[in-house]
Amino acid sequence: MEYKNVLTTCPYCGAGCNLYLQVLDGELIGVLPCQSHVVSQGKLCIKGWTANEFITHKDRLTKPLVKRNGKFIEVSWEEALDVIVEKFKHYKEKYGPDVFGILASAKCTNEENFLMMKFARAVIGTNNVDHCARLCHASTVVGLGKAFGSGAMTNSIEELENADCILVTGSNTTEQHPLVARYIMRAKEKGARLIVVDSRAIPLTRFADYHLRQRPGTDVAWINGFMNVILNEGLADQEFIKERTEGFEGLAKTIEKYTPECVEKITGIPKDDLINATRTYARAERASIVYSMGITQHTTGVDNVVSCANLAMLTGNVGKQSTGVNPLRGQVNVQGACDVGALPNVYSGYQSVTDENIRAKFEKAWNTKLPAKPGLTVVEMTNEAAKGNIKVMYIMGENPMLSDPDISHVREGLENLEFLVVQDIFLTETAELADVVLPATSYAEKDGTFTSTDRRVQRVRKAIDPIGESRPDWQIICELARRMGSKEFEYPSPADVMNEIALLTPIYGGIVYERIQKVGLQWPCASKEHPGTPYLHKEKFTRGKGMFFGIEFKEPAELPDEEYPLILTTGRIIFHYHTGTMTRRTALLNREVPTGYVEINPMDAKKLNIINGEMVLVQSRRGEIKIKALITNMVPEGVIFIPFHFAECAANVLTNPALDPVAKIPEFKACAANVKKNNVICRYVKNKYYFQ
Amino acid sequence: MIEEVRKLANEWLKTGKVDAILGLKEEDGHIAPHLFTKADELDSLVTSPKYPLLNTFRPLKRNILYLIQKNHRNAKIGVVARGCDERALIELAKRDQLNLEKIELIGVACTKDEAAACSCPKPYPRNIVVGEKVEGIPSDPDIEALLKKSLPERLAFWRYQLSKCIKCYGCRNACPLCLCQDCKLEQELWVKTGQLPPEIPIFHFIRFYHLADRCIECGECERACPVGIPLLTIYKLLRRDVKELFDYEAGVDVKQEAPLLTTLDETPMRSEE
Repeated sequence: MEYKNVLTTCPYCGAGCNLYLQVLDGELIGVLPCQSHVVSQGKLCIKGWTANEFITHKDRLTKPLVKRNGKFIEVSWEEALDVIVEKFKHYKEKYGPDVFGILASAKCTNEENFLMMKFARAVIGTNNVDHCARLCHASTVVGLGKAFGSGAMTNSIEELENADCILVTGSNTTEQHPLVARYIMRAKEKGARLIVVDSRAIPLTRFADYHLRQRPGTDVAWINGFMNVILNEGLADQEFIKERTEGFEGLAKTIEKYTPECVEKITGIPKDDLINATRTYARAERASIVYSMGITQHTTGVDNVVSCANLAMLTGNVGKQSTGVNPLRGQVNVQGACDVGALPNVYSGYQSVTDENIRAKFEKAWNTKLPAKPGLTVVEMTNEAAKGNIKVMYIMGENPMLSDPDISHVREGLENLEFLVVQDIFLTETAELADVVLPATSYAEKDGTFTSTDRRVQRVRKAIDPIGESRPDWQIICELARRMGSKEFEYPSPADVMNEIALLTPIYGGIVYERIQKVGLQWPCASKEHPGTPYLHKEKFTRGKGMFFGIEFKEPAELPDEEYPLILTTGRIIFHYHTGTMTRRTALLNREVPTGYVEINPMDAKKLNIINGEMVLVQSRRGEIKIKALITNMVPEGVIFIPFHFAECAANVLTNPALDPVAKIPEFKACAANVKKNNVICRYVKNKYYFQ
Repeated sequence: MIEEVRKLANEWLKTGKVDAILGLKEEDGHIAPHLFTKADELDSLVTSPKYPLLNTFRPLKRNILYLIQKNHRNAKIGVVARGCDERALIELAKRDQLNLEKIELIGVACTKDEAAACSCPKPYPRNIVVGEKVEGIPSDPDIEALLKKSLPERLAFWRYQLSKCIKCYGCRNACPLCLCQDCKLEQELWVKTGQLPPEIPIFHFIRFYHLADRCIECGECERACPVGIPLLTIYKLLRRDVKELFDYEAGVDVKQEAPLLTTLDETPMRSEE
């Protein structure tokens, strides 16, 4: 007779809510909220409340699979690992290490991502290691890194509650980070002003003082407009600019021409609304900017992020409680996966691979030579695979066949590989293309840590034994490394991996399991005595002085034209999560929204002669999907929206793989598209119409 | 006070009066329900802060004691229960959701501060084993203020409150008495799927009506709400109405039939076992 509750971190968004997994006689039966957790405070969203269900789903992979004659057959771990090691050794010898591409995962723990990047660099010998942060906040890491010296959320989630003004842009917070939206709502009810800048009428707009609807892809223009008004009306924080920043003259010169009239022409935001919203933001004592992928997923992603940083610095809203620039990270551990170096240009703690001293430090710690040349990013890897330059890929817990732009091209790349290993909990669209599939465990079956969006390193705790023969990712990586001949992967437990991370990573220097049992620690946390950092840039910026950059507005890579007259933007909904591998296997979530849809404005629908619920064709230069129409004022005229969770009508068949030149993030948020009536066959049988 | 509870629990486990004790466990400063089967774990048994002990879990839709009793038919379970936990047990037993005969209670009275925090009218169980009985809070000033407002004002208030809903189902999940096997909130006939906020007011009204003669005023729904909808206010008013209309109070007497469970000719609907 046993009934226990195991405290762990929710596996979904970056809010990092803690929850209890309920175990009765060894069986996982449900979820309970944790009342003493700093963010969740006894509350959860619909995904959190159901976070136990997919774990025991019948589709879980329970045995290693090897593809023979086009079919998967179940094999022993011994056999699967033998096949992998033989192939890895063969290709490394024949072509060298840089034909390998390795994807770590924002769904896996810090320890596992650290081991994966160590495996890539120290065992294979390549810097070609990346993960899906590339697709969501690569521009944040670069942009805020340039402006402030640290590419992470400046303040803490719970601080939002005490802001006087919150500017939310490109974040449908209610749906993507429900428990962060809670703090925005609390601030609002305590009297804060709320400004939402979003083309879509997201749920928060219901409570907003201002809703500015910009044309997708014109963010630099309206932010420059804000700054133009601030300077003209003398609302800038001159003291902060003088004491804490540099580069102001360049900025002032650039934004001169972005008058409210000019900005209205570019963005479609009425100039009076822009002026009033600007005054509200600039006059607030403590103003926070909250943004997410509406800002980052553009070919101007870095420009957008830097512009947000400009705006916050211009009004002195950095380095104080309840202010700052707050990117909300989408996945539970996307912050952590970046922190521990699952990126092609840096080791853990954003330490550059091109810096000789740093490389020497890691070489010494790992007892091996390490490559100096930065590696390839996610989208570049599949591009190079299509060209035949990447020949082997090892993918852990990621599903590029649904998450990456222009899926047809991704398929072409992955199919062109000579050898593909996928390690996951379900047979995803990507795993189906693999030569070997390794069954990993979910978050409920292993120990480790996740780092939430506000840099909080928190515990993940094992609640039940692994399902079937599945194994935790950290054990799989270590076993592979050992079989590849490395002696540097001997860890009794994830806690020992964290000790190595702390040793090599200054921002994680003081993080050990004993210190985070009760409450998570927020990095930077340099030593065992350091209390963690709730908000960044207090007395000085990480880079010394905050840097202003004058940024000119640039149009998205693809604009609507006669052939493709609509702007397609993509995103997520509250009931689902990313590629749906977990949420579509959760009954309550799946019944809420069982498949995808395209949001179309009523005026556009009228022009196209489309009725609500009708199957339509959506086309772009990349491809075409068949999808249900949802006629709604959520989207403005000329814009359509498709959630990207659904493989059968995948938005990413349509999206544009054009990249930001620096961050290499694709433009998911704006491309040209067209909606056409599907050639519907209508049958009339037994007093009912049937559409096919 | 906590020492008394631990002492009693220890005695019950050692003498075999019970096989296990359902209570709250503190670990690393966090508190959650736990089934204590060994005396040496009892150092971590705590009684506060208040935490829901019995929730009805999805997708199993059963309270934890039902599930424990299902797995272990003859087990005798001790429960460290506050007033609201006891009311929940009584109401669940009345509806065949657990077997009270195999359950022994260690009744704990809430402190004055705890009673005030919940504005609880009855912050103690029938048999207080541990703690001092403090008087309940008869009325909630927020409710009285709301009742003084005009009907359109009240409607506007609730419309605003319900418009914040993010359909987490937390109110339902945290409720010890939300026990329907076929939850109407999950039926397309009653509530459209995929909407945010869920249809106003039907989504919440279904729950209000379903809980009218079951709600034991524990406040877990409100505590679980991420957007701060004052759900307990509605339930307090509902309890008041049910008391006036039917002279019925949920969670008081296991033998008293719930008024909404009877047929219109006043004969009980529930079959005798």
